[in-house]
Amino acid sequence: MDRFVVSRSHSEAYHPDRRHALWLSTLLICCSLTAPAQKLAQLRDTSAPFSARATHLLGFANARNNSTGTLSVQDDSLQFQQNGKPGAKVKIALVRDVFLGEESKQVGGLPMTLGKTAAPFGGGRVVSLFAHKKYDTLSLEYVDVDGGIHGAIFQLAKGQGELVKNELIAQGVTISSRQDQSTKESAAEARHENK
Amino acid sequence: MKTSKCNLWIAGGIALVAIIFALPGRLHGQTAASKSSGGNGTSATRWSVQVDQVDRGNLDLASSFQIAIYENLVDELNKTKQFQQVFREGDHRASEVPNLLLLKTTIEKYTPGSETRRAVTTVSGATKLTVRSQLLTREGKVVFERPVTGDVRFFGSNLRATHNLAHNIAKTIKQSSWSGSGQPTAILTGQL
Repeated sequence: MDRFVVSRSHSEAYHPDRRHALWLSTLLICCSLTAPAQKLAQLRDTSAPFSARATHLLGFANARNNSTGTLSVQDDSLQFQQNGKPGAKVKIALVRDVFLGEESKQVGGLPMTLGKTAAPFGGGRVVSLFAHKKYDTLSLEYVDVDGGIHGAIFQLAKGQGELVKNELIAQGVTISSRQDQSTKESAAEARHENK
Repeated sequence: MKTSKCNLWIAGGIALVAIIFALPGRLHGQTAASKSSGGNGTSATRWSVQVDQVDRGNLDLASSFQIAIYENLVDELNKTKQFQQVFREGDHRASEVPNLLLLKTTIEKYTPGSETRRAVTTVSGATKLTVRSQLLTREGKVVFERPVTGDVRFFGSNLRATHNLAHNIAKTIKQSSWSGSGQPTAILTGQL
């Protein structure tokens, strides 16, 4: 008899904790479900200017070649701004075409290359096997005030190129028929890189 | 009599020394004058060039390569200072220039490479480009035509091949016997 009473009181004592745990887990599940939704909402927020980190390889207005900065779509312009320097701008209306490609590059730049060269017993070659990264290349064709055709190439983190391209299309840039072909070619080039 | 002979010798010596000193200066002046006249003649009939977009034919070449070759060509031709002005395709100002040449670039061969393969093996993975470069007058007369190659073999990204190619095209045009004096000499063929 005593034994039963003790047991019952024991179960009652732990019951509120279980309830709390249940509430807590429900709350966590709800939070985890709403987090991606918030992220999506942030991505689709069109009022905020779109921007992405990019490396300018060549050709964009008066920006320095091989410089890193922020590529952004602001108002009616595509802007590339290096840290602490005035940005280079091109009006989106003057952009004639956008091409997307991908490229695999060795990471680390010149210091890494020198290090790999200096490594004994061909160790640098082994490092090279793994020290590469895939990037998106975004190529633009635009015209200047005199009608001269310019080309610009940006290197972005994988997946970012598609976002910039979509943003430019949303702003009214038209894509020519050779776009599909060039995308296929870039894919073929990337396959060659992976060999 | 003796003194007059002595004076004659001295005068002759002075004249000889004067001639020795004066002659190189005069020759130098002549060469400088001829150089400057030649320079003026060339600059009077200096041509401008319009760089057309790269024609990839039916080859599988990424658009980034086409754009990079075009942009690098404009840069390299500006650097050579051989042409009075370098215009881009579509530039309205080019139509007002009397002496204009068109630079056409057609891709003939493209071997895609791999930076990783170059880094690992050193001997393979080179990116190679071969183009046919032509300079034409407005009337369509070819004044310069050559196949030019550009590649990247060891260090650098694949796009570096386009920079090397453009540099080679500009160098070939500069070194060619096409004078730029307005009279197209002959069609030049050969390989760099």
